[in-house]
Amino acid sequence: MKQKRVAKLSRFSEVQTAWLFMGPGLILLALFTFWPIIYSVPLAFTNYSVIGETSFVGFENFKRAFSDVNFIASIKNSLLYMIIVPFIQILSILMAILVNRKIAGIKFFRAAFYIPVVTSMVAVSIIWGWLMSSNGVLNYTLLSIGIINEKINWLSDKDTALWAVMFITLWKGLGYYMMIYLAGLQAIPSDCIEAAKIDGASNFQVIRKITIPLLKPYVFFCTLISLMAAIRVFDEVFVLTSGGPGNETLTSSLYIYQQGFEVFEFGYSSALGIIISFIIMFFSIFIFLFNKKGGVNPY
Amino acid sequence: MKKRKLLKTIQKKFLIYVPLTLFALFMMGPFLWLISVSLMPGKNVFSFPPAIFPTFIDFKNYVDVWRYMDFLKYIWNTVIITFFGVIFSILLCSLTAYPLAIFKFKGKNIIFVAMIATMIIPAAAGLVVNYLTINKLGLINTFTGVVLPSLVTVFNVFLFRQAFMGIPSDIRDSGKMDGASEFRIWWQLMMPMIKPAIAVVALFEFMASWNSFLWPIIVLNTDKYPLASALSTLNGQFSYNFGWIAAGTVISVLPIIIVFLLTQKYFMEGISGAIKG
Repeated sequence: MKQKRVAKLSRFSEVQTAWLFMGPGLILLALFTFWPIIYSVPLAFTNYSVIGETSFVGFENFKRAFSDVNFIASIKNSLLYMIIVPFIQILSILMAILVNRKIAGIKFFRAAFYIPVVTSMVAVSIIWGWLMSSNGVLNYTLLSIGIINEKINWLSDKDTALWAVMFITLWKGLGYYMMIYLAGLQAIPSDCIEAAKIDGASNFQVIRKITIPLLKPYVFFCTLISLMAAIRVFDEVFVLTSGGPGNETLTSSLYIYQQGFEVFEFGYSSALGIIISFIIMFFSIFIFLFNKKGGVNPY
Repeated sequence: MKKRKLLKTIQKKFLIYVPLTLFALFMMGPFLWLISVSLMPGKNVFSFPPAIFPTFIDFKNYVDVWRYMDFLKYIWNTVIITFFGVIFSILLCSLTAYPLAIFKFKGKNIIFVAMIATMIIPAAAGLVVNYLTINKLGLINTFTGVVLPSLVTVFNVFLFRQAFMGIPSDIRDSGKMDGASEFRIWWQLMMPMIKPAIAVVALFEFMASWNSFLWPIIVLNTDKYPLASALSTLNGQFSYNFGWIAAGTVISVLPIIIVFLLTQKYFMEGISGAIKG
């Protein structure tokens, strides 16, 4: 009887310690992660902005969003942005396979592939902005090889701007995913591959029949991460094009930011955030279901 | 026979090193060109054909931009923001993650699910409200205001939670048997055991704080900017003075690249540990 009481007492204090431990972290999370989400819901139903009085406007902001050409364009661009996801996966798996061996200088190559990841997006954007300008090195190179016939203003041409920014996002991110895949490759037991080779499997067969299937959980993880990143894309478009030309590179994150910090329409900006969150939710549920099927839990 | 074997190994090496070199050029080429531009005084990057290699090397751009920008101040700002960001992220996130991983208590799952749910919110959506909050707390134009909103991130909490869950429960029990407080168990028994996870969070947090530029621009005045924010204003002000911007860019990325090269080993181990865990 007495022992039971002691056990109960200590269990009670465990709950208290739990909250003591989590307290500071949860307060900060509540303030800067949950509060913006909660507060944006009532905001979305008002016309809150720096000027004028705030009043309840019902679904006005949502109605406006669906007839807002720029917003529709921004969603379209954000969805288009997801096209880079498979390219990132294929290229970074290729890179990982290339650097997954013990040869002289391999450390140098791994570092070289990863350096764009650690560099700030501002720096990367400045460099690629120059390289991609109409008189830039990229045009010069492509012209001299004969791939293009006339200079293209990659970042301000309507037809190429979005693709150019997408390319920069891809270039900067490749190393990150390469590292994850490299970790995956190194987790594959080497006797597995050796056995296959003894049985006469070619390198290509090994990659197709052993490497790729065993990498599957990593592919799911990377797809999830890169899809989220594609929807959240902000820095590169902010620095390089600020959405232009027209609204060709306007992504949804950038448009929310513009409505909030450039036009100061806080209510409308909140409504846009809510709509986009629902869109992202749809995709993440989709991928999480996939993820479950693959049998991996990244967290 | 021997010769043929040698030829084959050479061929094999060739097949590996050529694509490796091509990829390396693709990833490093833009940086090498940037360094090249920074060493060419008075050159226009938009002249056609563009200048790719310097005809003579001159550090004048570096001297000039260093004098103009007071880089030491910006580096110092960045160091402060990064230092406090990293230290407090590790402490707060691991403190938050520890009970979530080890304890049994009511509401644990609710907290967990609520955290996952926040990951779907677009990055820009919280900015306005966070600005209002920071303003209300009187933290505009302070480093605290820059660091505070990103100290506890769901991602880091999960990384730590995962690491704590990998520790056998005997260890905590033995600590309890010896009469250690929960706080001591966390600090003296658990934290040393999750060093790889700490390394990952430290490095990712380091990268994120060092490179952050938008939030600092929103919260701070120009003289308190970190490097990336300062660089973006330099780029706006002197868009015609390429040598300066190139030199400034090199100065701003050099510290983090050096740190990366020195800690490369931990980056590798850390990332693999984080994913496998």
